[in-house]
This record gives sequence, structure tokens and C-alpha cells, in this order.
Amino acid sequence: MLNTLLANLPYLLKGAVVTLWLSLIVVTFGTLLGVIVGLCANVGGRLVQALVTTYVFVLRGIPVLVVMLLGYYAFPALGFRANAYLAVGVAQVIYIGAFVAEIVRSAVLSVPAGQIAAAKSLGMLRIGILRHVVLPQAARIAVPPLLNNSLTAIKQTSYVSVVGAWELTYAAREIVERTLAAFQIFLGVMAIYFLICYPLSLLARWCEKRLLVAH
Amino acid sequence: MDYAAQTAILLKGLFPKLLEGFTVTLRVGLVSMALALVLSVLLLGPRLSKNRLIRLPTEAYIELMRNTPLLLQIYMIYFGLPLLGFFPSEFVCGVVGIALQHAAFLVEILRGGIESISQRQWEAARAIGMRRLAAVRYVILPQTFLRVLGPLGNQLIIIVKDTSLVSAIGVMELTMVGKVSIERSAVSIEIFAAIAVFYLVLTSVLGGALRIAERHTAARF
Amino acid sequence: MIEVKELKKSFGALEVLKGVTFGVDKGEVVVVLGPSGSGKSTVLRCLNLLEDYEGGEIRIDGAVIGYRTNANGQRVACHEAEKAKLREQVGMVFQSFNLFPHRTALDNVMMGPLRVRGAARKEARTLALELLGKVGLADKADEYPIRLSGGQQQRVAIARSLAMQPKVMLFDEVTSALDPELVGEVLRVIRQLAQEGMTMVIVTHEIPFARDVSDRVLFVDGGVIVEQGPPSKVIADPSSDRLKLFLRRYQGDYLVA
Repeated sequence: MLNTLLANLPYLLKGAVVTLWLSLIVVTFGTLLGVIVGLCANVGGRLVQALVTTYVFVLRGIPVLVVMLLGYYAFPALGFRANAYLAVGVAQVIYIGAFVAEIVRSAVLSVPAGQIAAAKSLGMLRIGILRHVVLPQAARIAVPPLLNNSLTAIKQTSYVSVVGAWELTYAAREIVERTLAAFQIFLGVMAIYFLICYPLSLLARWCEKRLLVAH
Repeated sequence: MDYAAQTAILLKGLFPKLLEGFTVTLRVGLVSMALALVLSVLLLGPRLSKNRLIRLPTEAYIELMRNTPLLLQIYMIYFGLPLLGFFPSEFVCGVVGIALQHAAFLVEILRGGIESISQRQWEAARAIGMRRLAAVRYVILPQTFLRVLGPLGNQLIIIVKDTSLVSAIGVMELTMVGKVSIERSAVSIEIFAAIAVFYLVLTSVLGGALRIAERHTAARF
Repeated sequence: MIEVKELKKSFGALEVLKGVTFGVDKGEVVVVLGPSGSGKSTVLRCLNLLEDYEGGEIRIDGAVIGYRTNANGQRVACHEAEKAKLREQVGMVFQSFNLFPHRTALDNVMMGPLRVRGAARKEARTLALELLGKVGLADKADEYPIRLSGGQQQRVAIARSLAMQPKVMLFDEVTSALDPELVGEVLRVIRQLAQEGMTMVIVTHEIPFARDVSDRVLFVDGGVIVEQGPPSKVIADPSSDRLKLFLRRYQGDYLVA
């Protein structure tokens, strides 16, 4: 019953590796970008805040697929020759960045004002307050949503198949179109995604519980 | 002709098609939303059931939906159902896929809402002679929805964005229109930029409506 | 009308009611006094089957409530549906009001007749407006609970229970959660109901009110009735030491534990 799946497993696992690489790169750079942008919004002036707000608003209002398509056609249109992975990778990084920026920005804002007041009344300077009081607490608040966001990012790597980049989902579709063993293959691939994502899911929930208690 | 004029003419020509795609997006979105909501309410009981035989499969389903990409589910329905002898349209496949995935998220949101409702509301409902179904229908469920309006609304907006995925199986919604039009013209970014604007308008309007609804109901709590 | 015989109730390992016996005649107002943890609220909650009871029996109008005896003579708990039917006859008002926050005051009062009795909307509305007028809140009909004071909310809660036209009304410390200046408006409504002949069982800390309104007072402590009788006897001249201690607090000795 699982013949087709088992026969094509090596091929699918190669796709899974690509998915993992993509996920790693997108999540790392996307989170990095988002943290920088988010913090800029917190410490920057009105102009910076306005720019960040616009960036977040636009990226969060359009489907990730459209962003990927924009990226895919943007490179050649601007005269660069880039492969599909780079194009959709950059697009995804920018997309994830917007969500992370918003998470970081609101995490910093949700540190109770009383904390800052207390730090000030101990004579701390702005930088010190940021470093020792605000950021540690903001980081705590931000971790669960960031983990959930990374989970979403991993699932979204499957969408690059629509744009033409080869990874696990693309491979799955190839095989199904060839063998018609839809349930076997897709359920098998779902299992692979599940194995990748579920631990992260559990981690996110565990963090949520742990970090809530501390607060 | 210069660039701006050229682009303007092109987009003007494309506009009817884009609008058509937009209406399809709206249709997919609305039907998916409705289906997902109905499913989530139906699943809420099993999710909260004390009976493990009912609750565990529901939890398993939710975990599965949470940890696998929507695209895969859409593909599975689209490629798989014909094997079983069903031949639903791409529209139906897409809608069912989106609804199945998002119902799982909505159940969790509703669960959070319902667990935050005090036991005392149940008592008050029972004290005037209400049976379980009436209490759920007139007292508990309305309050649940009102409490989780924010997260619920956000999830619905995500549904609207996810409609773009059904382009993968050929539904002629907004994103698909873009993909098809590319082949016929040299301008690609402009088309997708226009499409992006359509989506942005849609999600902004929905987001604004959500915020108004939230403010309105905050007055009651 | 109400007969309670040897009522026993436990929460897990803790036996809260250890054999409570009393009766309530039609039109009588019975006040239940007691320290916290004495089980007085539990008695009330057994009367409208919000709690099941393990021992003894409760009869309303002659019929045992909460249980049926099956063919083998064993006691079988009633279905929720039968309990719900009972609660249409026995109304309860809670310490924390428990109004439905998502509906207006009028909707709250209409909820019973409309959704339980199945009355027509117009009829339910008329009745609701009448009852709101009776508790002095006709002008607040379209307000949401959040905009009402505690005393106003509690009066709406009373109207809501009255809308079901119950035979008996149960009041569970209905003024304990109110600011002092709001207590009077609620007690006034309860007194009016008493004068109109409603059968009531009231758990309260308001001793002067109890003396004024009740036909009979029960003092519950440690899960049993320690003393019962007319207010003139029980409150003015208590026989048991425990009751004397309990009442001292209300006579100015606020340091009594």
C-alpha cells in the first residue's frame, strides 16, 4: 500500500533537505532583519517609525505568494540574473521580517512602564535601561510569538513550489502527477512536515507556559 | 511613449480581468470563511469533551493542520478526490482545503474564549431553567465570539490572504490572473504591484472593519 | 411547600451538610444565617439543584426533587432536563449578579420567558418592562450591565429571575458584594416581594433586615441547623452560644473572629 511512497522516498527526502535549508536561511535572516527593524522603530524618531509602520502594514496586507511572485519577477526586471531560490528567498526574508518587526516592536512596548520608571529612578541611563531592563523582558515576551512565526515560515517554504522553486512540496507534486498515488505521497509528505514542525510547535507552547509563569 | 504612460495603458487594459479575479478571490474568501467558522463551532464541542475517544482525535486533527502547509492539503484534495470517484471543481477543492486548515486554528481561538468565561454565567443560565443547548446558544457562544473578536478577525484576514494559494490548482482568482497575464506582456512587476494593491485594499478594509467592531463591542465588556 | 429532611452533602472528602432539616410554607420568608463555611449557601444551591445532594431528601410541593427511585428502590439522579424544569419554578439570585454582559438589561430579563418558556417576543418584552419598572429600573432597560451600578445590576438580576414567575425565590448573599450605599435599594425590592407574599429563602449577613423581613430564622453552623425560630426569638434572644458569638459581631464587636 505504501509502495509508491517508499519507492520515491529518497527523492522526497532530498526535497526535505532543501526545505530545511530554505527554512533555516529564511528564518535566520528574516528574524535578524525583523529584530533590527523592530528595534529601530522603538528607538527611532517619527520618520523611522512611520517607515517601519508602512513596511509592516504593506507586507502584512498582501499574501506571501504575491510577495514571492514580485520577488521572482523583480530580479530579472531590474536587470539581475538570479536563480529562483535567491529571488523567493529574499522575498520571504523581507516578508518574515515585517512580522518579526511587529512582534519585536510590540514586545518592547509591552514591558510595563513601571519597569522603566523604576530603572530611571535608580539613575540608569537610556542605553542601560534598554540593555538591562527592557530588552531582557521584551525578549522573554517575544519568544513564543517568534517561535510561532518561525513555524509559519517553515510551512510557507512550501509555497515557493508555486513559483517554480524545487523543494519538498514541488517534489511531491511531481511524483503525484506522474504516479497518481495522491494520498500515499501527500500524506507521507505531510508526515515529513509534521516531523519537522511538531517539535517546534511543542517548544513554542512550552515556552509560552514557562514564560507566562515568570511574569 | 514614456514608461508611465505605457504602464498606465497596460494596466487599464488589464483592469477588467483583475477585477474579475478580485471577485473570485472574494468568493473564495467568503465561502472559506463561512465554512471554516461553521466547522470550528461544530468541532468546539468535541474539542472540549471530557470523553477521550472524542477529544483526542479532534486534538490530533488540530495538531495536524497546525503543522502541515495549507498547500499540501489543497493538493491532496485536488489530486486525491478524483481517485475516490469525486470530481469537485477547483473552487470547491480550494475552499474545502482552506476551511479544513483554518477551522483548526479557529477552534483553538474559540476554546481560549470559552475557557475565559466564568462558570457563573453557566450558573445564571441554568438558574432560569435553561438547558445546555440553550445556554450555549444564547449565553456562552455569543460571549465567546465577542471576547475573541480580535484574534478571530485576524484569522479571517489570513484566510483572505490564503485564497491566493488556490491559484496553484488553477482557480482564476486574483493571483492567478497575474500569473496568466505575465505570459502575454513584458511588464511583470507592475502587474503584481497592481495585484498587491488590490489585496492591500481588501485587507485594510477588513482590518478597519474589525477594529470598528472591536471598539463597538468593547463598550459591552 | 418545601420540605428538607436530613440533607447531606459532601464535596469530595469534605462533608459540608451533615443532616439539615427544615420546612418552608407557602408565602413564608426564611432567612438563613451562619458563618462562612457553615454550608448555608450549599443548602440554597441544593434547593435549585445547582448542586446534587447525597443524603436525605428535598421535597417541593410534595415531590422529591433531584432524584427518582427506580424499580429496584435505588436512588437515581435526574437528568439535566428535569433539573432545568425545576429551576423554572425555583428562582435564584446570586451574590455576583451574573448578568449576561452581552445583552441589555431588558434582554437579560426577557431571556427566560423568551428562550426557556418560548413566549412570543412582544409578550416577553411587556413582562420584562413591567418587572424592570417594579424594581425601579424602567429607564435603564436599554443599558448594558457594564454601565449599571452594582445595586442596579442586582435589581436587574432579581427582575430576570422574577420573569420566570417562580414559586420560590432563593437569594444567596445578594448584597454581600455591594458597596454599602447600594445595599438599601436591593433590600427594598426584596422586602416588597416579601410583602407581596413570595415564598423566599434568603441567605444574608444583614441582621436588621433579617429581623425585619423574615418569618423564621435558621442559624446554620458546621453543616447543621443549630437554632431556628422566629426572629424575635433567635436574633433578639439566642439560646445557643455559637449563635450568640456570631451575632456579637453585628452588635458592634467587630473584632470577633
